[in-house]
Amino acid sequence: MSRFGPLIHASRPRVVAALAARLRDLDLAEDAFSEACAAALTTWPGQPPRDPGAWLWRAALRRALDARRRAAVRERAVLDPPSPEPTPEEALMAHEPIPDERLRLIFVCCHPALAADTRAALTLKVVCGLSTERLARAFFCAEPAMLQRITRAKRKIAAAGVPFEVPGPAAWPERLEAVLTTLEVAYAQAYEDAALAGETAGFADEVLRLSGLLVELTPDEPEALGLAALVRFAEARRPARLDERGAMVPPERQDVALWRADVIADGVALLDRAARAGRSGPRQILAAIHASHCARIEGRPTPWADIARLYDALMVVRPTAATAVNRAVAIGEARGAAAGLAALADVEGMAGWLPYQAARAHLCALARRYGEAAEALGMALRLGPAPAERLYLEQRLRALEG
Amino acid sequence: MQYMILIYEPAGAYAGSEGRTALEEVVAKHWALAAELTAQGIQKGGAGLQGVETATTLVRSRDGDTLHDGPFAETREHLGGYYLIDVPDLDAALAIARRVPGVAGTKIEVRPVIVHDQ
Repeated sequence: MSRFGPLIHASRPRVVAALAARLRDLDLAEDAFSEACAAALTTWPGQPPRDPGAWLWRAALRRALDARRRAAVRERAVLDPPSPEPTPEEALMAHEPIPDERLRLIFVCCHPALAADTRAALTLKVVCGLSTERLARAFFCAEPAMLQRITRAKRKIAAAGVPFEVPGPAAWPERLEAVLTTLEVAYAQAYEDAALAGETAGFADEVLRLSGLLVELTPDEPEALGLAALVRFAEARRPARLDERGAMVPPERQDVALWRADVIADGVALLDRAARAGRSGPRQILAAIHASHCARIEGRPTPWADIARLYDALMVVRPTAATAVNRAVAIGEARGAAAGLAALADVEGMAGWLPYQAARAHLCALARRYGEAAEALGMALRLGPAPAERLYLEQRLRALEG
Repeated sequence: MQYMILIYEPAGAYAGSEGRTALEEVVAKHWALAAELTAQGIQKGGAGLQGVETATTLVRSRDGDTLHDGPFAETREHLGGYYLIDVPDLDAALAIARRVPGVAGTKIEVRPVIVHDQ
């Protein structure tokens, strides 16, 4: 990817959302954005724009309107009368701020008329530009099936007349779950990549902002508050997540002096507000787990026993393999490697999942079963870790061998 | 956009004396809703259908058409009636669908109508 790749990825959510809201057509918005990106890659090296987002917005909108005009002309088989609108060149010169339609687009993609198992994936595809391959990985499904689900959902949005609007408050509860899942998965994808390079560049900031906006719109929804808190606790530690060589550093070994105390305080305040609502949920529990990891900023050791208990609670409301793997690690730290490995033994069918192998390596090393730990690290390294995690896993492998 | 609101009612919903009372209530509510939607210019058509025991189904095959007594599929729900409405978008259509009367077990399908530009 060229050096402009990250710039393009960072502007995608805002630009595609604005295009979709204006054109009311997801495919046209995505196609026009892709074309504008292709044009950018040939134009920018010679003359980089001052505002890449604004450049992409204008270029994509012009292409979309041209495409639509051509289609209309083909259909009517007559020529357009001379247009009173500015020429494309004039439009390019004009100063037009990009309207922020991201939340609106998220609500379109999370419409309850769409299949429940597709809403979050569709949103991540359209708003964040996640590839089908990456979505298939995030939602544990085969790539062709994922592509088919997304295509069907897009077709329905267009054909059934799903409105491009943020719905009134009465419609919120029905859509909130999908919106929360979307933001949570988007953040998990960004978190996976400690260096925030590659496809997920810009996700973390995006989710930080959108989760804050969601709390403004639904101030009494504890799970929205929980999600906003969770994202803040995790982001507060980001400056400490890479060492000087660019390798990932796990929370319990991070330099707390680098953590952002103000962002942690924001998270604590949000989680307190959520607790006052008296209705627990998976995002609040996850936020509490992250909050526990932040205990070291007050000079206390990581409270693994608390974290293990929180994972027990999470297993009740969200009994997924991912929860079970993380719970096993917490149990290993709190009650000893043997207990952790016993918990991990209950998790089946996850051998091809990187965090599973990383957890197995960690627990085996704790149990002084170094051969198995090295084997698990080898498998983890073959599962395509992000660069920062690769360096970290390689460090651990060298430590085992040394 | 135009939408068809198709009302599928559970079989036997209006059987017996209790059923007859339920039917009277549901029909009265349909009249009220239809009058309101027509006055607002939203409703373009609609009707209730007589029971499935009155249905005749024509089945087409390569060898020609044959007639059968009854509806095309033996299901637990039967098409009981429909509304044809003209509203800006799906949310507006769903808001009306939520107001369509019916006993518990009723399923209400909302589908956009193909409109051919002149």
